[in-house]
Amino acid sequence: MNTRFGAAAGPFLIWVVAMVLILVTWQVLVWVSGLPAYVIPPPAQAFQTLFDNWPRLSVLTGQTLYETAIGYVIGALIGFVLALAMGQIRVVQRLVMPALIISQAVPIVAIAAPLVIIFGFGLMPKLIIVAWIVFFPVVVNVLDGLASVDRDMLNLARLMGGGSLRTFAIVKLPACIGPLFSGLKIGATYAVTGAVIGEWTASSKQGLGTYLLTANAQMNTAGVYAAMLLLTVIGVGSFLLVFGLEVLMTPWRSRSTAPAWAQWKPAQASVAA
Amino acid sequence: MPEALKSTGTVGSQQSAPTKLSIENLNVRFGSVTALSDVSLDISDGEFVCILGASGCGKSTLFNVVSGLLKATSGKIVLDGHDVSSRPGQVGYMLQKDLMLPWRTVLGNITLAASLTRGATTRDRAEAAELASRYGLGDFLNHYPHALSGGMRQRVAMMRTIAAGRQVMLLDEPFGALDAQTRLGMQQWLLQLWRDLKRTVLFVTHDVDEAIYLADRIVVMTPRPGRIAEILTVDLPRPRPLEVLTTDIFVGLKRQIMQHLYH
Repeated sequence: MNTRFGAAAGPFLIWVVAMVLILVTWQVLVWVSGLPAYVIPPPAQAFQTLFDNWPRLSVLTGQTLYETAIGYVIGALIGFVLALAMGQIRVVQRLVMPALIISQAVPIVAIAAPLVIIFGFGLMPKLIIVAWIVFFPVVVNVLDGLASVDRDMLNLARLMGGGSLRTFAIVKLPACIGPLFSGLKIGATYAVTGAVIGEWTASSKQGLGTYLLTANAQMNTAGVYAAMLLLTVIGVGSFLLVFGLEVLMTPWRSRSTAPAWAQWKPAQASVAA
Repeated sequence: MPEALKSTGTVGSQQSAPTKLSIENLNVRFGSVTALSDVSLDISDGEFVCILGASGCGKSTLFNVVSGLLKATSGKIVLDGHDVSSRPGQVGYMLQKDLMLPWRTVLGNITLAASLTRGATTRDRAEAAELASRYGLGDFLNHYPHALSGGMRQRVAMMRTIAAGRQVMLLDEPFGALDAQTRLGMQQWLLQLWRDLKRTVLFVTHDVDEAIYLADRIVVMTPRPGRIAEILTVDLPRPRPLEVLTTDIFVGLKRQIMQHLYH
């Protein structure tokens, strides 16, 4: 019992320790540098600003979180479907791959301007920017997953009489789940960056990104740091959420036996018979 | 050399059994390279035939043709009197690579053929579980393949081949990647399976001892071009205890085969 609790608490404890370490480093930097609070505010002041302005900041966080989440889901879906299409049809892969690489080579800030011209200062350009950042690691990783399927495995499936649809669903698709999550985790940490860039360049609606700009212009350094803290929480939270989903959806990576709901029990047979 | 051991083609217990699989005048050419040259072989129902040869002798090419994965340049494959040339899915097939799907449990991997063709039913799972339990995998049904040793994974792969239900099974060096001790255990296990289930087995190996220990007949192939050099009947009684590995018949056969392979 003790060891199981310890195993579950281990990763959590490490996170707590890591966060405390970051805050301590921050505080030490403030002391050592001797810089005034309007250049580097101590952690306590940043947190104070965060709590004092919570009613407003919570609304802004909600807005940025909303943009991040919707853009992320759109980007992930487009990336996944695109990768499957590219993996299945070689011509599509050859044609689309250069375009994908070019899309990521263009600085994201440069993309924002034409997006605003096309869509105006609404939600759309922000979603597109987030999705633009997220879809690429998903495409690349899922393509890798599809390519990793052993040719002999596909031959075996054919010899067992597997049709192309069932072979795809049983042999190919599950091989993409692990790589998909690798892409999703990278995307989860980048997505919030996309939302902030979107707010800076293409927004009329207030979010944490716009708050950050305003606070900066007003020399409200503690406000800048408070926004940074909240953006970090969104980024880390997204990552942990995706990571948790990964553990749930890929039990074969972390367990030696199937989870209880997926286990076969002899009783099932006698019930059916 | 002991003439008595030489095959006349019809010696042994398979004399009365009907022909299950016929390989007829098979030729396979890849461009200017002849991979198989005029290979013909009749295999009786329930027979255990080992194909033995050094690498490059066309063993795997032969298997790919028999399984229907590869189209022969000429010749045909006849199963139960029907021409099955280039018709994949008529025979079972197992490789040295276990080809487990890591996200499926042992039971899920064994029922793979059912899943791929029509979806595995509760009955499929129950039958597979019963079969696997009978042959020593009962405690591992809900394990993921990565949790098993190489030998155990090959047992699962064998169960998967059997559960696919084909009467003829092609086994392409299934124990080639295992250490010597595990391999010996697997050979005995396979012989027990074969005796119980009465399948026809075509077994590729480059291990002379393995071929003699397992086979009713040994087909010795030589490379460039891949062709059958000789067919030997193994007149060792069954079941075969490990002691047969040191009998005169065994050693005599081994000497005879080595001359073909390494002269």
